[in-house]
Amino acid sequence: MDNRLIFKFIILFFLIFLVNIISLGLSLNSTQIIALSIFSASVFATLLFWDFRVAIAFLGIALLLITKTVDLENLIRFASLEVILFLVGMMVLVGLLKESGFFAWLVTIIIRMRNLNARKFVFLISIISALLACCVDEVTSIVFMVAAILEICDYFEVEPTPYIIISVLSTNIGSTGTVLGNPIGILIASKSGLTFEDFILKAFPLMIICLLLTILLVNLWYFKSVKELDRNMQRFAANEMLIKLISVPPERQLKIGLGVFIITLFFISLHHRLELLWKLENNTLLLSIPLIFAGIVMIWKWKRARQYIEKDVDWWTLLFFLLLFAKAGTLKYTAVTGIFAKKIASLAKSHPLGLTSIILWTTALGSSILDNVVLVAAFIPVIQSFKELGFVLQPLWWALLFGGCFGGNITLIGSTANIVALGILEKERKIKISFFKWLKIGLIVGLLTTFLVWLALIWHPLYH
Amino acid sequence: MKVKEIMKKEVVSLSKDTKIKDAFGKLLQIHISGLPVLDENLRIVGMFTEKDILRAILPGYLEKVGRFIYEENPKIIQKKLLDIQDLTVEKLMRKDVITVDEDTTLCEVARIMLTQNVRRIPVLDKEKRVIGIVAREDIIKAYAKEARWITD
Repeated sequence: MDNRLIFKFIILFFLIFLVNIISLGLSLNSTQIIALSIFSASVFATLLFWDFRVAIAFLGIALLLITKTVDLENLIRFASLEVILFLVGMMVLVGLLKESGFFAWLVTIIIRMRNLNARKFVFLISIISALLACCVDEVTSIVFMVAAILEICDYFEVEPTPYIIISVLSTNIGSTGTVLGNPIGILIASKSGLTFEDFILKAFPLMIICLLLTILLVNLWYFKSVKELDRNMQRFAANEMLIKLISVPPERQLKIGLGVFIITLFFISLHHRLELLWKLENNTLLLSIPLIFAGIVMIWKWKRARQYIEKDVDWWTLLFFLLLFAKAGTLKYTAVTGIFAKKIASLAKSHPLGLTSIILWTTALGSSILDNVVLVAAFIPVIQSFKELGFVLQPLWWALLFGGCFGGNITLIGSTANIVALGILEKERKIKISFFKWLKIGLIVGLLTTFLVWLALIWHPLYH
Repeated sequence: MKVKEIMKKEVVSLSKDTKIKDAFGKLLQIHISGLPVLDENLRIVGMFTEKDILRAILPGYLEKVGRFIYEENPKIIQKKLLDIQDLTVEKLMRKDVITVDEDTTLCEVARIMLTQNVRRIPVLDKEKRVIGIVAREDIIKAYAKEARWITD
């Protein structure tokens, strides 16, 4: 083990020790201290040991069971299998989309744009990044977008960095638009009872406004780069050669793949109506529709079914989520989150707007450093406890969603999309963006968009 | 039969300071797809193959974005070729090299080749120095002789 690793372990133990001291200050009992320490260990582990996070999650769960902090039945209940299964279903469908040439199709719709100029290009990549992040998860979406931007910037001989950053910012913003965009979207929907329709009516329009603000900001910020791209676009005139750059494999496959995906989205968007019609429990269909269509795809392509499950489903991340949810649930089970809820409520002087503001800004700043799923998983039981204190929960759920996603824009490690995109950029073009270079534009976009959301949540009756 | 009975004892190798351009020249010259990279004490430090060159010039996201077709040659390939030509072999070679010792059985070498998806395996002596190299062809030749498909 090298010295850095030992140093990190020392930091981890120190942080857990700190949590213990705080716990004693809050006069928590021993079970509560164990639950909180184990949960904090997983949170710190995501920060310090990204590669060890599943290992640490395994150990934490085992400890919770051995110390009788939680029983098996509740552990399984808190693991939120419904959220995991939803994500598995969506990942299988995205796998189908990938193999049917979706990436090539994406590149062609950008480069076949009539009279393409740099401003249109910036607008197009922002909108596509955001909408794509609404429909498929943000990580798949950003890989597609980064690859497309690299191929196109290569053709026009310009530095891709500004466009990659623009795409990442838009992806994080876009991922709030529907329940599909970000794992925290479906997590919040499943725990709050908010439907796809709620997201479309309340989150999507706000997302679009924030996106337009972002497009304006990045156009100003990257004024010089956009101008250079414009010059090169004219120099390499028309898109004759560019149009041929990349093509779609069998067109029919693409149509079927896209068709299946769009039908899935269509049914997901109708889930609430159908649940009312068939008198089903809230969100039953939201969670089962991806499974139905993934099931159909796996019957249709039965020879590849195993590959979809083994290769296209990111089990590493999902397993981490599953265990994380179980650990966050234990916080609720041991009544730790209730204590936190009371503290936060007294901090907000029991004022609903104050509470919304605290949740929004804490999650925004928190998720600029922490993985937003970790943060949201911790906050969900706290928010559920506010119900017992007599608060209306809806604005708090939206604060959690927007804070968790928009905060990711602030730093370059703020969200998985940032890390994935910058990883590809560094590997492919040997360009390494410094923390502060990102922070400048990240902070502007992150704070201003969060501010817009704050205004909406405070003033607009729609969110109350 | 042991691997030392069939391995090639004259090992052509590269040093880690060889330039990519020159290393590729050497591969072409002796009609081989990859060579071991040795230090001054004949200890193995890596394996350099044509595949490493391909990996360096094509985008790493190919597998992640699913199927598509390049209809034109992207400009970046030319640029990447220029970028890597004067790099040393050390930068592109695979560093976790699968090796066997001289007393390994033929079938074990064959098993490793099939399961680890390698074509050529360096053979080490007790002091971990490279004393030979065995290729897929050598294994099959030895078996073919045993089965009298071919004669010497």
